[in-house]
Amino acid sequence: MCRILVIDDEEAVRTAVKRRLERDGYKVDVADSQAAGIEAIKTHNPPYDVIVTDMVMESPTSGLDVLRAALTTDVFSEVIVLTAYGNVANAVECMKRGAFDYVEKNIPGVDVFELLSIKIGQALERRRTSLATLRKIEQYSNLD
Amino acid sequence: MSSNNPISKHGADPKLFAEVSRLVATGSSIDEVLQGILEHSVEACAATRGFLAIADHDRGELDVRYTAGIGWTEEKRLGRLKVSEETGGGIISLVAATGKPYNSPNVIEDPYYIEFFEDVRSEIAVPLVDKFGRIRGVFNIESTALGAFREDHERMLQALADLAMIAITMSDHRAREAALVEIGKELSRYSEPNEILQKVIDVAADVLKFEDCSLFLIDVVTDRLVLRASRGPLKQWIGQASYALGEGLTGWTAQHGVPVRVVDPSKDPRWKGRFEELPASEVGAYMAVPIRIHRGVIGVIRVQRKKSPYKWFPNDFTEDDETILTTIASQLGIALDNRRLIDQLVRSERLAAWGETSARSAHMIGNRIFAIKGDINELEYVLKESGANIPEAEELIQSINKGIFLLEEILNEFREFVKCTQVELQESDLNQLVREAVEEGFPKRSPTKLELKLRPGLPPIKADPKKLKRCFTEIMENSVNFLPEGGEIKISTSYADARSKKWLKPSQQSGHYLQVRFEDTGPGIELERKPKIFNPFYSSRAKGMGLGLSIVKGIVEAHNGVIYEHGKPGKGAKFTILLPYESKRDEQSGTKSQAS
Repeated sequence: MCRILVIDDEEAVRTAVKRRLERDGYKVDVADSQAAGIEAIKTHNPPYDVIVTDMVMESPTSGLDVLRAALTTDVFSEVIVLTAYGNVANAVECMKRGAFDYVEKNIPGVDVFELLSIKIGQALERRRTSLATLRKIEQYSNLD
Repeated sequence: MSSNNPISKHGADPKLFAEVSRLVATGSSIDEVLQGILEHSVEACAATRGFLAIADHDRGELDVRYTAGIGWTEEKRLGRLKVSEETGGGIISLVAATGKPYNSPNVIEDPYYIEFFEDVRSEIAVPLVDKFGRIRGVFNIESTALGAFREDHERMLQALADLAMIAITMSDHRAREAALVEIGKELSRYSEPNEILQKVIDVAADVLKFEDCSLFLIDVVTDRLVLRASRGPLKQWIGQASYALGEGLTGWTAQHGVPVRVVDPSKDPRWKGRFEELPASEVGAYMAVPIRIHRGVIGVIRVQRKKSPYKWFPNDFTEDDETILTTIASQLGIALDNRRLIDQLVRSERLAAWGETSARSAHMIGNRIFAIKGDINELEYVLKESGANIPEAEELIQSINKGIFLLEEILNEFREFVKCTQVELQESDLNQLVREAVEEGFPKRSPTKLELKLRPGLPPIKADPKKLKRCFTEIMENSVNFLPEGGEIKISTSYADARSKKWLKPSQQSGHYLQVRFEDTGPGIELERKPKIFNPFYSSRAKGMGLGLSIVKGIVEAHNGVIYEHGKPGKGAKFTILLPYESKRDEQSGTKSQAS
């Protein structure tokens, strides 16, 4: 079963995202701060498949710190950053640093939960491909 | 007698002058000083009595203000004397008219003498003359003895009169100083600019004895001097009476930036007489000084005096008057400039405070809405899973979704407002941006007519294309919202003209600017609303939060530009945006290459 970590300092947000993703059949953990999130990422074994994190928590760039922690723990973790609507600069920065994608929380007229669900599906797909590739490489290197 | 008389053959008693000088230097009031000098004079000349009459310029009379010696009654103390050079007009009048001392050893035979006290036999009178040669009063002592006063008495009395004149001059200066201090205090008090202006001219007119005083400030839109404060009949024209720069004496002062001081102004070739406090035939003296600040003349204060019907008391303005008025004008200039800077500061601080508040609020509200969206998503799912077909519930969900949609729109306006000052500038073509803004933001099938008048070949500007286009569409949307059917919007671009550049800050004045102007045929903006339209949350539109124009202003200012509205209420709105460009060649050659 796929494991997902949701990090957000707003309980209502955590609850809503967790509930929606559980509907899709994922195992969802939550963390209520950047610090708690990073702690969970570093200690959870096996690593989380996908991490959904808010951009702005303790600092305006908490999302970037979470991203760094995730990628240093498991380079194939997929991170989706929740950003404010229109905050393109931040989102672009996340993408540059290896986030799978970003989701704007308040796009008028868009069902952002369906969007998030789709993106998580895609993120898991990429992770699976990456891990499969890694395994093949390992197999080839074992043959040597 | 000779032992008592301070005038010996060696001259006047030095003790007397020591005492009088001390009095002038230390006297607590002008009344005390003048009364003291008079009493010393009467005593020193062994006179029966004496008085000091002060010139009343308004009435053309001498007013017996200080008396000493014996025989004074209440009635006699209230005496007033006409000034006349003619025989039988009185010795005091004669002295006032000629400005020369007069010694009458035998008044009974003197053709000028008129009786005031019947016991008088000899009399001596000396004038008080100020540095401008004006008669300020007459010093008089008299005796019941014939030939009581000699030439040295006359000299001593003139010396005492001069000391009295010094005391009066000092007192005048103190009064003027007090007036300037009072004006300074008024100016530093934080009150409405119009109150400041009115107070300044009231104090100036009262204390400095200007009969009428008016204040004009240059209106940056029309470039005309507009009456902003006045006393007397012109008061009803405040805000309406105006002069072009260079028009009339007032306009001349503003244009040349130097004071004007003339007698009988209606004979001056520069005189126009369009808006006068007094009928032209009654204006005796006219003075106007420019109100200057570092970036130039911003207005004019002018004062007028009536023609004096009394030839002995001319009414023209002196150099001192000019100095005083110039001081008032420069104090006022500084105060008005300060006031403008404070307004600017308060505005930007308020904007920053709003920015911070809205940034935090936006984040919290955004999260809440996000969670509610999650709840609705779940609700829809639960309903679908349950297989229940409840149309009412679906309608409710639709309605909530619509509410959320509007909420998110408002939220985004909030966010845009917060970030309006964060621009990423790149080289851009202003005309292209206008065209794109029209393309993206102007309704395709609109009953509104749109006219574009874009000057070709404008130099590139540094702009954040997305944000600047947002400004243009916001202004267009504003116009469209208020336009009646068949209304028109005209958008034009050009180099900034001198009149628009007046809206720039002093530090921006020397730069090169392009301008975009949006004119419409809508109802325009009422005068009293004009100062507020760029404030956050100020809107007469039902949609959104009223942040539109404050966002526009924020974006324009982040481009180091200026936006202002200068339409005529009732005739349409007119927004002009000035944006800087870097001049690689001067505008002239730019124009030439245009023409070729």
